[in-house]
Amino acid sequence: MNEIGGESGEVAGVDEMVDGAGRLRPHWRTVLNGIALLGDGGLAERARRLDRAFEDEGVAAMLPGGVADGRVWRCDPVPLPLAAAEFAALEAGLAQRARLFSLLLADLYGPQRLLAEGVLPPPVVYANPAFLRSCHQPDGGPAPVLHLYAADMVRGENGAWHVLSDRTAGASGIGLVHENRQIIARVMPELMRGAEIRPLRPFFDFWQDSLARLAPPGRANPGVALLTPGTTDPMWFEHMFLARELGCFLVEGGDLTVRGSAVFLKTLKGLEPVDLLLRRVGGRYLDPLEQSPERLAGVAGLLAAQRAGSVRLLNHPGADMLEAPAFAALLPRLCALLLGEPLALPSLPTRWLGEPSARTEVLAAPTRWRVRPALDGRAPITVPGELSEAKRAALLARIAERPWDYCASPPFPPSVAPCLGAGGMTPKPIVLRLFLVGDGDGWRAVPGGLARVVEPEERLSGRLPRHGMAKDVWVLAEEGADLLGPPASPLAAMPIRRSVGELPSRVADNMYWLGRYVERLENTARLVRATLDRVVRGTWLPREHAELNTLVRTLAQGHVIDGEAAASVPGLSLTLLATVAPTGAIGRILAEVARLTELSRDRLTGEMYAAFTQSLRTARGETGRVDRSLDQLAHALSAIQRFATIVAGVAAENMVRGGTWLFLELGRRLERASAILADAAEVLAGPAGHVETGLRLLLELCDSAITYRSRYLALLQPAPVLDLVLADEANPRALAFQLAAIRRLLTDIGGGSETVFSEEATLLLARIAGLLAEIVAAPEQAVAAAALPAELANLGAEIASLSDRLSRRYFALLPAAQTIGLFEEQDRQRGAA
Amino acid sequence: MNYHLRHVTTYEYAEPVDLGVHLLHLAPRDLPGQIVESSEVRTEPAPLFAREGRDHFGNRVTWLFLPALQTSFAVTSEARVAVGFPAPPAPEVTAPWERVAGWALAGSEGAWRAAEFVFDSPYAPADPATRAYTAASFPPGRPILAGLLDLLARMAVDFTFRPGVTTISTRPPTVLAQRAGVCQDFSHLMIAGLRGLGLPARYVSGYIRTRPRPGEKRRRGADQSHAWVGCWLGPEAGWVDLDPTNNLVVRDEHVVIGWGRDYGDVSPVRGVIMGGGSHGLAVSVDLEAA
Repeated sequence: MNEIGGESGEVAGVDEMVDGAGRLRPHWRTVLNGIALLGDGGLAERARRLDRAFEDEGVAAMLPGGVADGRVWRCDPVPLPLAAAEFAALEAGLAQRARLFSLLLADLYGPQRLLAEGVLPPPVVYANPAFLRSCHQPDGGPAPVLHLYAADMVRGENGAWHVLSDRTAGASGIGLVHENRQIIARVMPELMRGAEIRPLRPFFDFWQDSLARLAPPGRANPGVALLTPGTTDPMWFEHMFLARELGCFLVEGGDLTVRGSAVFLKTLKGLEPVDLLLRRVGGRYLDPLEQSPERLAGVAGLLAAQRAGSVRLLNHPGADMLEAPAFAALLPRLCALLLGEPLALPSLPTRWLGEPSARTEVLAAPTRWRVRPALDGRAPITVPGELSEAKRAALLARIAERPWDYCASPPFPPSVAPCLGAGGMTPKPIVLRLFLVGDGDGWRAVPGGLARVVEPEERLSGRLPRHGMAKDVWVLAEEGADLLGPPASPLAAMPIRRSVGELPSRVADNMYWLGRYVERLENTARLVRATLDRVVRGTWLPREHAELNTLVRTLAQGHVIDGEAAASVPGLSLTLLATVAPTGAIGRILAEVARLTELSRDRLTGEMYAAFTQSLRTARGETGRVDRSLDQLAHALSAIQRFATIVAGVAAENMVRGGTWLFLELGRRLERASAILADAAEVLAGPAGHVETGLRLLLELCDSAITYRSRYLALLQPAPVLDLVLADEANPRALAFQLAAIRRLLTDIGGGSETVFSEEATLLLARIAGLLAEIVAAPEQAVAAAALPAELANLGAEIASLSDRLSRRYFALLPAAQTIGLFEEQDRQRGAA
Repeated sequence: MNYHLRHVTTYEYAEPVDLGVHLLHLAPRDLPGQIVESSEVRTEPAPLFAREGRDHFGNRVTWLFLPALQTSFAVTSEARVAVGFPAPPAPEVTAPWERVAGWALAGSEGAWRAAEFVFDSPYAPADPATRAYTAASFPPGRPILAGLLDLLARMAVDFTFRPGVTTISTRPPTVLAQRAGVCQDFSHLMIAGLRGLGLPARYVSGYIRTRPRPGEKRRRGADQSHAWVGCWLGPEAGWVDLDPTNNLVVRDEHVVIGWGRDYGDVSPVRGVIMGGGSHGLAVSVDLEAA
């Protein structure tokens, strides 16, 4: 039995489908009629199809890395219907609780009259880890807003719903509600035919409209963003879904910055103001300046901006404290006091053990109670009767020491609803989560919800599990009710958007580095390949020997191999093989490319993502097979070069020329430009007599040997070679081609107003042309060419500096954030005191 | 006593700081027994944006947003303060300590604010060892202030003032085991012990005079940020400040900046910077009799 159901032998909860006399409850007729239409075995067959649909396209499948252990949210084919009147009563009861919580919030973070007058016991606030002192405004300030509220409920033996836990922090699960409905509607259309079910759509319209009403005064067209912890969050799919439904930016802490007293999203066209921030990050981790600095999540200065009233956080960061189960014991009194009404929708009967009389009652017979932490709404319930003697004694000792930390409730078996099991439909206990959104005037519930099956060993908590069996919740429409809901306010025609400006900087950052690393991968593979070919062939001529030495030096210079280990031919073979190991230069770049591909996933279409990952997987598979065979290494290098070609092809043919593409391309071009400069500086280094070797290698590394031969036959001279690989804007492997592309890209990104970077590219192009003119005019071209490396290194440094400044200008700089004043500096501040 | 306070904190950064946001607890607060005649917090460079206000505890705070691309940041707090805290009541007339604990937990009228300082906080959570050490000063029925003064005297004997043996992450049980530390450690230890007994205790941040009065020995913690402990005697008697580092009842040698549950609530200069690389820090404090 689950923990609120009590020990076996106790009565089970009421049945959702049949009443005590075994009669079918009328609102189930629609569901059962629909199931009957499916025929014998039809339900089980649909259940299998549902499972497959959830595995293939369910939320878990959208998470980075996919489904680890096949455990996903699934959906039972039998929905949970709620009669119209019952749902209306629940909606009204939950709205009352939401209003009550709003008033509580305003007092707790404002005048604190409820504490001063002794209505609220101090521990409920001051021992509550989610009470945010940094949000308390004793001198007044913008009112805290509760905007989204959810509650987990169970139906008691008397048939009445009771709230098991209140969710005021994030209220996760709306994404699942939406998904369940969509997949049920697709897989089992017959079931919904003839059923008058309220659709979910109007709710989302209301939600989107409510945001405009909640914006700080004077913001007619507010900037709205949804703050997610990022792709590693188990609910990330839901954040992505909500951002799309609500038409707002999906942002992470590093995308936002506080300047002065306002919050901005770092986009490419600059800082865009954010007026409303829907937060899916815990209230305690929003601002490292005023809160836990050890987690540099959040946005430094966010709370100060909120205090200044320029941004509204939804929900208010301090709202998380209302999830404390201790409030359940206090709500009836608070409701009477603050609203002058009785509490319409009760909580699970709850005793807060900070109250001496409650403590006496519970400690007199602890095994009759279920105990839960009073100040942590996410912690599971403990059943003292199921604990060993020693563990129970330890629990009672903790309660005696810190009674305010505990709550107790009597066993409370939840109602059961029919679910499809191995042998047909069996009743299973369920918990129902409903969701409400408030716009400042009123509250409206999602006409649906998330019902989920309580597993036999589950310890209920307020936290939504990462997987489980859900049920679609149908809110039946009243006869003749308007199924479409009230008309949404007419939308203004959308302006055509083609600018890259609103791309969040983090996305641009990821794409830029994806471009750079893919290019670096290709260039490194090409260098290793050129070296490998010579090792395999053997170096019989002095010329070949010189080329090999130069290549090894170039590889060592680029930290691809260890120059000393490569001094002998067998040593060189081993070091080349080691480059593709996971710790080798190529192995590490591959891992970085894979990581950036995952981070950019929501910006790539399904086909693009598949093309990237498939060829990347092949390349990684080939590198994994490389053992001691140079032949195998050649295969792996080919696979890597194919991957780079596929990325280039997909980018060229399938990507819209928007911000995503611009930054991917910019990264590739900048990387290639610096690689050409680094390679050229290295191969040309040395006395003038060795220049010819360098030129030949340069043509090979820049994949330009064939073009050169077609222009100049076999005669190698410095000026023509350097023209082809440095100054020829028509050669896609030439430096000038990269710089010209960079100039175009920077012009597009700058959008006409920002020209400083593109002008810099123009200057660099002019310098290349100037260098070449000097070579052409030199009395001894070879001497002039041998003198080039210093200037090439300077150009390389300038390109690196350009990249740094581009990063600074356009990208988030989150990794460089640090706190001062609390850690090692603080020890120095402590000094001798 | 009248004092002139000057507290300078200087950060030098290896690389330019792109963005700096700071939260300062540097300006002394007005109190019965402490009059702040003038107070000024200056920074170099000047901030792009600054805002002053009060925090949850009523302390004065400054939020600063610095301009981009700075390689140093200096903040100077100067103030003229007159202090003379009243003498605490006679120890034997204060309430038995158990009653004080009862008042605090019940949060009855006049006590609810003190109740905040009974519960664990990040740097000063109650623990069994510290509670046991503290409990030796609180036999049943002992008047609270008598117990507190006894605790102060025991700490003066048992603990050695020794910089460098602790860091901010050192917790009270470790300080108790090694019997050495600095003023923050002694304050956190005393707070944790009192909380273990259900007694409200708060962390007070401030300064102690740099030069002793003629004929007196130099106080520990001069030239630095100093810290001590506020103890609650009940709704009538209110708070009294005790300095466990110097075995002193705070009267006219200390200047109070503010208080919180522990160091984390009132650290003098706190900030988040983007960029900056490694950095160096210099702090100087002068509290001179004016």
